[in-house]
Amino acid sequence: MSMDNHPLEETGRSTRNIDPCTVVIFGATGDLTGRKLAPAIYNLGREGLLPANFACVGFARREKTNEQFREELKTNINEHSRTKPIDDSFWKNFENQVFYHRSEFDSDEGYQALAELLKQIDAKHATRGNRVFYLSVQPKFFPIIIEKLAKNGLIYDTHKTTDQWSRVIIEKPFGHNASSAKELQANISKHLDESQIYRIDHYLGKETVQNLLVFRFANAIFESLWNYKHINQVQITVAEDIGIGTRGHFFEEEGLLRDVVQNHMMQLLSLVAMEPPVSLSAGAIRDEKVKVLQSIRPLTEEDFKSNVVRGQYGPGFINGQKTLGYREEKDVDPKSNIETFLALRLFIDNWRWAGVPFYLRGGKRLPKRGTEIAIVFNDAPGVLFKQNGRKNDPNVLAMRIQPDEGIAMKINCKVPGPSSPIQPVKMDFRYGSYFGQSPPEAYERLIWDCITGDSTLFARADEVEQSWKILTPLLDHWEKNPKSEFPNYAAGTWGPAAADEMIAKDNRSWRIL
Amino acid sequence: MTTQQIVDPEKIEPELIRIWEGLAKEKMRACLFNLIVFNKLSKRTDYIRNIVQKVSEKYPCRVIFISSDAESKTPYLKTAVSVVGDGNIACDYIDIGVSGPDLQRVPFVLLPHIIPDLPVSLLWTEDPSTEHDLFEPLTKLANRVIFDSESADSLLAFSQKVSKLRADTGVDTADLNWARTEGWRDLIASLFRSGENLDKLVDVRITYNARPTESFCHLKVQSLYLLSWISSRLNWTFKKATKTLNFTFEKHNAEIHTADWEKLGPGTIISVDLATTDNLLYQCSRVRTQYHRVSIQISSPEKCELPYQFILGQTATGQSLVKEIINKGTSEHYLQMLKNLEQLDRDRLC
Repeated sequence: MSMDNHPLEETGRSTRNIDPCTVVIFGATGDLTGRKLAPAIYNLGREGLLPANFACVGFARREKTNEQFREELKTNINEHSRTKPIDDSFWKNFENQVFYHRSEFDSDEGYQALAELLKQIDAKHATRGNRVFYLSVQPKFFPIIIEKLAKNGLIYDTHKTTDQWSRVIIEKPFGHNASSAKELQANISKHLDESQIYRIDHYLGKETVQNLLVFRFANAIFESLWNYKHINQVQITVAEDIGIGTRGHFFEEEGLLRDVVQNHMMQLLSLVAMEPPVSLSAGAIRDEKVKVLQSIRPLTEEDFKSNVVRGQYGPGFINGQKTLGYREEKDVDPKSNIETFLALRLFIDNWRWAGVPFYLRGGKRLPKRGTEIAIVFNDAPGVLFKQNGRKNDPNVLAMRIQPDEGIAMKINCKVPGPSSPIQPVKMDFRYGSYFGQSPPEAYERLIWDCITGDSTLFARADEVEQSWKILTPLLDHWEKNPKSEFPNYAAGTWGPAAADEMIAKDNRSWRIL
Repeated sequence: MTTQQIVDPEKIEPELIRIWEGLAKEKMRACLFNLIVFNKLSKRTDYIRNIVQKVSEKYPCRVIFISSDAESKTPYLKTAVSVVGDGNIACDYIDIGVSGPDLQRVPFVLLPHIIPDLPVSLLWTEDPSTEHDLFEPLTKLANRVIFDSESADSLLAFSQKVSKLRADTGVDTADLNWARTEGWRDLIASLFRSGENLDKLVDVRITYNARPTESFCHLKVQSLYLLSWISSRLNWTFKKATKTLNFTFEKHNAEIHTADWEKLGPGTIISVDLATTDNLLYQCSRVRTQYHRVSIQISSPEKCELPYQFILGQTATGQSLVKEIINKGTSEHYLQMLKNLEQLDRDRLC
């Protein structure tokens, strides 16, 4: 029975009528499970948002008992949950729904035993055979895990089974370049229908990112200005003050483009630039996002020189503390040519955005942590209110994704007094202060969406493919032309001087976060 | 909360500015909506103040709390201001105490202090079916009127008044007792999510906590709401009811029973048992040690499934009010439930 005609369910009011299910986490002893997934599931449960019949199974290669696994999760939740300390009375019951299963990722016996365990859980907790498989593992394991799940009857054929479901969440990176992404997709789509695949990009679970659609399409005043006639430029910044930490091996293989630009930044760009969808269904929204990516002007050899700047941090200072350069970090090649900074100038060749540059900037070891999308509007005609021949600042609409999620609008105002100088001021909306509470963690929202079968905030195969199509030529170019002058920016600065020069050529400058 | 400062009505805004200037480094002033509360001074006043404070802590809002003193022989209108919120985010709280003919001044005192462009919710804690001079002027100001049927002397009259208000003015309406049953409605909907067995549902037995307090005395209301919701959603045809709360429908039966649980809110539903024509029994009962959890056991003469638990969600004081403020529109299920209730309660059971 569908939600629309169920007599006991009122559309848009209840968040509770969701199917019973079991969530199986592959890589259950890993960092992501401890820091993000376990706290997210705990908070969903504590707030009564999980189905009544729910269980969670950790799947990993290390030997461990159920009790040890539960104790580990409890420690992690106590350390990393947004609500602390753990609610013991809740946990005491909830931990009985948590199990551990040890197996290699390629062992048929392990999957047969998992199937048996899930059957027992279904019988005991009435989880009705519905499954979420969360692959919190290295991407190289995706195909084998999915193949084994399918082979051992843990993935339902969507054409044959309609009263039970199985969904698979996979973590980025979705491929290493266009061809590997295609290969990965070919491998997993042998066993999974696209409707069963949930490619998670945790940026999409953030309130401000979700609010982008509401902001644009529920406020008539902004959408009417949202085009080349009124917008001068768009800047998207993803800045981290931290380095690569313990992820040396990972970063040496990935670099910033694969880690941040291909996924997070391209997702943000497509949400900012998309046309209004025909409905709020996952398909309609993702159709529009893909169209934006398809409209991005391909990067040429000339663009690699003039519209792309890559960088790698050297030693420097963060918050007054001396920090190592990238090449001195643990597990990093002392001659590494991997980028830790990237600035791009892109154009979207469609009617709405003709001629409007999209400046993308992301990096590690920048002066502060901050992710924002800034819409810079055209200058007001300079006839009035010139001060000493200088124009006033343009209006800027800045959407802060993290930290301190919110929206700020820069407008010009008269300073009180007879001389009438004009001063830019900021109207600021902060989620934390306006709603008196911090928004839930992105992973909470995304896991809940997957359980409820809503894939709107997950990337679709063609989005991933299109994004790689834009950026793979750049990766190929870098491979042929390794950078010789790395490191080219000091930790604690806003990236290489070339990034400032790139935007300065357009008589513009990067925003200071 | 800062100390209440008694001020003349025209000094309300200047005094708030003065308080905030003193708090500038400690707290951030926030406001999500206007919340006007009308309350007659009684034993329930502290209870109402408590839930309003909980709401403003969670969702900062400008509270305008009107306390009408029907007992006082001396007419008066007193205003006071303070700032509420324990954390670094706080909001304005304006108190208006009034008695006698000064009641008519209240809308004029209040009007300049509504923050423009933000929604206005009116929490009318008294029986709306009893005429009151402030009811009409205050409902005209509100985008959303929230009632508490706990205050109603007659549930029948209450239902009729709320339905009429909605039909006449189109204002969004909500009801705290309706919100208090939300967890149970979710639970029952989730039990029958597949649609299977819904047509076979034949018997309903609801048990509520009959331990009264000074703030609550109409304890049957939540149970009647739940029954009325089930019967209206499933199109059961009502035939008769007894004073002992046995209900007969054309093809279905229902009973409402009482129990006495300490510390559980008065009138709160304790358990719901549902039976089908093929003898399947769904027994759902709150867990004694953790009231917000419900243990569910499904059994038939042939087999008995292991029990599992459903979490009813946050049960903190004020949570029902928060939900009713945040929800948009008027619940169609609620309006249908009220209409159905007019039949169920035609013999004034409550």
